[in-house]
Amino acid sequence: MPPTSPDVPGRFLVSKGILRIDRFMTAAIRLGGLGIIIAVFGIFVFIVSQVLPLFRGAKVEETSAIPFAAGKAPLVFGIDEWAELPFYYEGGSEVTFVDATGAKPPQTLPLTLPGGAQVTAASYISADQLVVVGTADGQVGTFTVSYDAEFGDSGKRSIVPSVTIGEFYPVGTSGGSIRSVGYGDSGDSKVAAAVQESGGKLEVHAVLLRQKRSLMGSGKLTKEGAYDLTPLLTGAPLQLRVPRTGDSVLVTTAEGVVDYIFLGGDAPEKRQEFKPFGEGRKIGSIDLVFGDVSLVLTDDLGEMSIFSLLVPEGGEQRVFVKTKTLPNLAGPASFFARSQRNKLFLTGSGAQVSLRHSTTEQVRWEKTVGFEVKGAVIDAKCASFALLDSDGNLHRYSLDDPHPEAGWKAYFGKVWYEGATKPDYTWQSTSGTDDFEPKLSLRPLIHGTLKGTFWALFFAVPIALLAAVYTAQFLRVEVKRVVKPMMEIMASLPSVVLGFLAALWLAPIIESRVPSVFLTFAGVPLTAAVVGVAWSRLPAQHRARLRPGMEWVAFIPIMLVAAWIFWSLGPVLESWICVVRDASGNPVTDPATGRTVMDFRAWWPQATGTPFEQRNSLVVGIMMGFAVIPVIFTIAEDALSNVPASLTAASAALGASRWQTLRKVVLPIASSGIFSALMIGLGRAVGETMIVVMATGNTPVMDWNLFNGMRTLSANIATELPEAPVHSTLYRTLFLGALVLFALTFLLNTAAELLRHRLREKYKLV
Amino acid sequence: MPALNPAYINVQDFNFWYGPKHAIKSVSMAIPECQVTAFIGPSGCGKSTLLRNLNRMNDLVDGVRHSGDITLNGTSLYDPSVEVISLRKRVGMVFQKSNPFAKSIYENVIFSLRVAGQNKKSELDEVVERSLAGAALWDEVKDRLHESAYGLSGGQMQRLCIARAIANRPQILLMDEPCAALDPIATLKIEDLIQDLKKEFTIVIVTHNMHQATRCADRTAFFYLGELVEYDTTGVIFNTPAQDRTEAYIRGLFS
Repeated sequence: MPPTSPDVPGRFLVSKGILRIDRFMTAAIRLGGLGIIIAVFGIFVFIVSQVLPLFRGAKVEETSAIPFAAGKAPLVFGIDEWAELPFYYEGGSEVTFVDATGAKPPQTLPLTLPGGAQVTAASYISADQLVVVGTADGQVGTFTVSYDAEFGDSGKRSIVPSVTIGEFYPVGTSGGSIRSVGYGDSGDSKVAAAVQESGGKLEVHAVLLRQKRSLMGSGKLTKEGAYDLTPLLTGAPLQLRVPRTGDSVLVTTAEGVVDYIFLGGDAPEKRQEFKPFGEGRKIGSIDLVFGDVSLVLTDDLGEMSIFSLLVPEGGEQRVFVKTKTLPNLAGPASFFARSQRNKLFLTGSGAQVSLRHSTTEQVRWEKTVGFEVKGAVIDAKCASFALLDSDGNLHRYSLDDPHPEAGWKAYFGKVWYEGATKPDYTWQSTSGTDDFEPKLSLRPLIHGTLKGTFWALFFAVPIALLAAVYTAQFLRVEVKRVVKPMMEIMASLPSVVLGFLAALWLAPIIESRVPSVFLTFAGVPLTAAVVGVAWSRLPAQHRARLRPGMEWVAFIPIMLVAAWIFWSLGPVLESWICVVRDASGNPVTDPATGRTVMDFRAWWPQATGTPFEQRNSLVVGIMMGFAVIPVIFTIAEDALSNVPASLTAASAALGASRWQTLRKVVLPIASSGIFSALMIGLGRAVGETMIVVMATGNTPVMDWNLFNGMRTLSANIATELPEAPVHSTLYRTLFLGALVLFALTFLLNTAAELLRHRLREKYKLV
Repeated sequence: MPALNPAYINVQDFNFWYGPKHAIKSVSMAIPECQVTAFIGPSGCGKSTLLRNLNRMNDLVDGVRHSGDITLNGTSLYDPSVEVISLRKRVGMVFQKSNPFAKSIYENVIFSLRVAGQNKKSELDEVVERSLAGAALWDEVKDRLHESAYGLSGGQMQRLCIARAIANRPQILLMDEPCAALDPIATLKIEDLIQDLKKEFTIVIVTHNMHQATRCADRTAFFYLGELVEYDTTGVIFNTPAQDRTEAYIRGLFS
């Protein structure tokens, strides 16, 4: 403020009000600007904070170690879903439950085995809370260890265990002691299998059971067959696994072979025998991960591979194929526990404990503990696991790994999913079954985004730029005054309306008239060029009849007629080229008319081997192009109009034609503005959502086929967000998609801004 | 040498309207070949408008119309068979504000040749040197021909525009207040240049500067409110004007 002194007349003083408003506005503007920066940055920080947990490993902490089965030799042990009351079973006539908090003494529940048999082998199927046992007299049976939560008067939860004995079936040679058992239950078909000692030799026997279901509920279990699988084996059986599909048995042999025996047919059939680690190598362990289609195998040195059931290319039956290799263990896996929620499994050798994920081939967590691990179990919620050491102590660990299926490889790399014939980039986030692998590759979505953007700009850029050039440099001002606001109105059309039009009106038209669309797109510009050349060849006195800038009056009718002609010629072209052939290569005739079928829709897949969808990139290109045109047009037109008239006048005065003036004087100066227009159009196309949601079919495929759909990052967020529980992997993955979109536009804009700056420096005026 | 045409440009009862505004009212005058003719008059008197009609630059303006005719060496400018682009090649123009293109000095000079499709390097080099020398700029810029024209001073830029206008050897050079934005030294240089150029070109110059008109022009026309008040040799106009309005104007009694 200037110093006020009595000799400065009042009219030179600034009133306090003005100064106050000035200061207030300065502060308000500063606050607003800062607010915008903070808001954008805040959004970015929020998205990143949602995304970061996806790339974290598992958090594992030992919570406690309790004396569990000291001095005992448990055959199996398990845990309830709250991880509070683990049990163990030694093979006798009682099951022992130990309170994990140590507050209560161990309790036992009686178990009455048929005929007082002695149990020689047992395994625990945690998903069914089922213990499968084999007896010394050659029987295989089950019992269930179930837990119920009860709430007392004080509202405190207490867990009440119970033990229920199931059916027992004699297997193989009567009286032969059972060495190991396996049990698979798919609901209506069950397989119980056992390695049995008979006359000093090991045999493998299986029993197939079926449960008839009717409206009255499940019927009685009937024994459908008992099979001796020994003749099918490649050697002496070592380990036995029965998948939950209840139709097959997997046996490893001393020769390092896995035999895959299928029981679902009329008789047992050896589907496959394979040496997972090659000649001369022994198999250390065989286990199934959740879903029971993937095998985790280790050899005697600890090398780990995963084999999955799939139909190989050219094959007809599902067989095991090596799909993954994981980092080696210290030796053959000595214990194995799997999650019942996802493809996590806990394994290790000796004192080494490793938490791994089969889909992404990742080691989520690994540690060498201070004891030799005898067994492991993961609770049903996958929130904790327990390890049993050789002294009978149970070490309990908390487990926090909410997003094991995430990671760089899952999002950007090729992953060999279960059942797929090869590694691929796949997006399929949800499915009907619980044991489904979420397929979260962002590559198809990025591809779809780029594809949609490419076709939209392919359509929009020539039209928008030529229109802008014509409007700015050729059209008479009085017409321009009408055209420009019209285009701006076009920009304000809600994209949901455009998407709706694209899906319900444009797509069916284009589907039936593809040759017409192509002919029109090729023909109209061609006609324009031909008419333009012809016009310029006319003597000046004829051309003088139309004032410069009014040529469109003559051109529009010509263009309309040309469009109509080319559109009508479409079916003619179709009837020349698009001959639909049957399997043997002969043209197909329409039985009703007796004429050869000429149809682009049927012809395209035959001719190119790529699909033809009604909701395709052509529809999206046109409609999204329509949405982008006004954006590019308006900004480019402004840039062109802002070229100083003195320069165009100078050029005209030097005898340059309007086109030469445009090309040599106007375009270079407007280039940075035109470039901005293209980039803003690009940004609009990249982020456009409603049109692609409605008109693309949302198929996350990776091809550049014009007649196939796509799924863009933005459309993916829109379609999947309602299905994504908060903080789930899918939820965070959608945020990752948003981040990728953000990064994509950020990179594009930054590159564009740098380039634009260079252009502006190069062609700046004074 | 053929005799010079005293009515090289012949304006015949020419009227011109910007929309409803009658900018030029029934002007008739003959502009002789290879002489400098100055248009003077207060702002808005129609002198620039008439000048811009001599190469039909006013075609670029919306809502204009005219009546009467202007002939160039006997041919009407408004004949439908006249290709306006070739007319502008014959009639070069220098604007009030220098307007070089965002290109190098070299490219600025040869712009008219480039648009005419001439790309032979040796010829272009020759034209650049001749034109820049003709515009008294060669010595100042010969070492930086390929630098941006925007690095020049205001006076140099205007001389570059003159060099650009004469590069393709037009027959007529129209100058619309070429020195309005220049300092006195640059102005003098351009005035000297005009004296040189009139050996080759017919020059029509619009100016607000009486002294400039007396220094360069052979003939002077005084316009007032769209009318041609008086048109005679410069000596007559400035020493013994026939009209009171002319005298009042040159004495600075109104502007």
